[in-house]
Amino acid sequence: MGDLGLKDAFATVTSEALLQALLVILIASALVFAIQKALPKLAGKVGGKPRLYLLAMVPLLRLLIIIATIIIVVPILIEPSFENMVAIFGALGLAVGFALKDYANSLIAGIVTLYEMPYRPGDWIEVDGKYGEVRYIGSRTAEIVTPDDSVVIIPHSTLWNSLISNGNDGTDNLMCVAEFYLEPNHDVRRVLSLLRDVAFTSPMTRTWMPVTVVVSNQPWGMKYRVKAYPNEPKEQFHFVTDLTARGAGVLAAEGVGFVSAPVAGD
Amino acid sequence: MTENQKPATEPSSLPGGLIPPEQWKLPETSVRRTVKGGIRHLLDQLRAGISVEDEPFQSLDDLPVLSASQRHRFAPEPDFAAVANTILEQLTSDHSGNSAVGTVRLIVAPPFSGIREALARLPVVSGKESEQSGWRVVAPPDELLMDDASARQWWDRQDLEEPWVIPELADFWLRHTSGLALVRELLRRLSAGAAGQGIVGCSSWCWQFWRGYCPDLHVSPRCPAPLDAEHLGCWLEALSHQSGRKPVIARMTNDGLYVLPLEDDRAGKKLKRSTFLRDLASTSRGIHGVALAIWQRALRARPEEEADQESDTVVEGSSRLPQCWVAPLEQLSFPVMPQSNGRELGFVLHALLLHDGLNETSLELVTGLSNDGIAHVLSRLMRADIVSRADPAGHWHVTALGYLTVRRHLQSWGFPVDGF
Repeated sequence: MGDLGLKDAFATVTSEALLQALLVILIASALVFAIQKALPKLAGKVGGKPRLYLLAMVPLLRLLIIIATIIIVVPILIEPSFENMVAIFGALGLAVGFALKDYANSLIAGIVTLYEMPYRPGDWIEVDGKYGEVRYIGSRTAEIVTPDDSVVIIPHSTLWNSLISNGNDGTDNLMCVAEFYLEPNHDVRRVLSLLRDVAFTSPMTRTWMPVTVVVSNQPWGMKYRVKAYPNEPKEQFHFVTDLTARGAGVLAAEGVGFVSAPVAGD
Repeated sequence: MTENQKPATEPSSLPGGLIPPEQWKLPETSVRRTVKGGIRHLLDQLRAGISVEDEPFQSLDDLPVLSASQRHRFAPEPDFAAVANTILEQLTSDHSGNSAVGTVRLIVAPPFSGIREALARLPVVSGKESEQSGWRVVAPPDELLMDDASARQWWDRQDLEEPWVIPELADFWLRHTSGLALVRELLRRLSAGAAGQGIVGCSSWCWQFWRGYCPDLHVSPRCPAPLDAEHLGCWLEALSHQSGRKPVIARMTNDGLYVLPLEDDRAGKKLKRSTFLRDLASTSRGIHGVALAIWQRALRARPEEEADQESDTVVEGSSRLPQCWVAPLEQLSFPVMPQSNGRELGFVLHALLLHDGLNETSLELVTGLSNDGIAHVLSRLMRADIVSRADPAGHWHVTALGYLTVRRHLQSWGFPVDGF
């Protein structure tokens, strides 16, 4: 068994079987490629939940196609007996263990990602200080697009030892926070009420979701945080901008000033 | 009118009456139709673009539509005074079992339900037929932007001692930080029981907002029951012989099956019935005005002589009754939402539904869009027959035919939508 039985396992492989297997793999690859291109494109044209569903289907369909391909190809190449399986997986285990450890680590984490779903396409996540929308989940990596339109590639193996913050967790509800730093000595209840109205009157607010305003006392004044949900997660930056602009206008009309902190240069 | 031409039971002007919103449910339809509707909506969203020529409503068949006078004859607008009477009767009977004096009743209704129009006629109806003293309409002020103190003063000036009615609460506010005070003060008075005896009509979209704004508000609104196939048939039949006219016979253009009248046999012959009413009830979400608008579009004038010659004694027995034809829903094209990458369409449409119609100035205020931007959006929506500017105040409204696509799109764009 010096060759781990691989010679016996592949003894029956013919050139015709090889061609058949290659054809199946090519078809599967083309299918995966088409799905990876077409579904995100379609998702870009629809909004709300249908967009999330379409994006989430990409990795799932790819996994199904890969599994189906393996199931079809293996019997074409070898007789799927117990001995042959042990031989192939043993050889694979050795190769993976020595040469492709990190790659395999990410591949396995990728499968775990599909099962545990710490992030899905369409989710807004933060990993190691990088924040963005998950656009693509590959076998080994996930791609997020930051608000500044940079693509950040995150290996799935990051899953094992990093904190992942997920803003909407597979839904289209993403809480946004607009912060106001105000001078002290004003009517706090009045400002709380005004900022709540600011959130409710923004045309981007999901009014059926909770709208809350919290305040904390700081050495330099008062810090208000308006928490509300935008109609769509991708609107979050416009939403916070809208809340900030409307809030600033209302507070100015009320005579409540913002704190100006001196900035120390290098 | 002969005896056999009269409906078996006197149809109500508000079929199903008023019910608690928790009991409201969408009229049922076939799975096939639901799936078809969903796919059509998805395809609408996926369409890359739309040419200006394709936007307006078009009929997909080549049968002549009814003339205005025929439409008025077969499918006229409802008698809103009768609806007002029905509402008053039901609220009065509900109230008789309630010991609380000076209550205010809230009627929440989806757009195009006719509640605004009916409540606006309440003073006339109550003056003529009710034993109670007449109801007075409380009209909104010209300027809706005010602070809390001004709102208190404005309500203090209103005479709430006598029965009063607000046909549409959406007229009393703007989605602006200075535009909430009037409704907020009214709701405070309602909770405190300090608003006398009144009836408030409220659009379901407006109510959706205020329910979120005042989560602790405790009121028990009523809403019109949705029109299911049976109620819809009764209602359409009643409309066609409003003012003592003869009831109409309506048959499908494609298979000749009967839509109206509702009785199963006529002149001793069993009528084969179409499922049109069930589909119409479901398509229109059971909303009166939407169902009527689609019904008016579906009616066709062309008499099919061949069909009449081939038909049996049923037609002979009813030859004196006016007859019209109904195009299947599949052959009607409804207004299509123009494609847009921006969110402006959604902001404008949501604001129009939230306030039950607005002018450009108010739209600018509540959406934060520029005057030019609003003009562009309104122009596109008007070309697509989705909004129109019909009322004398110059307010823009979503059209009854456009409402269904507007609601679906707003929902898929993530906007808050009503529960109806």
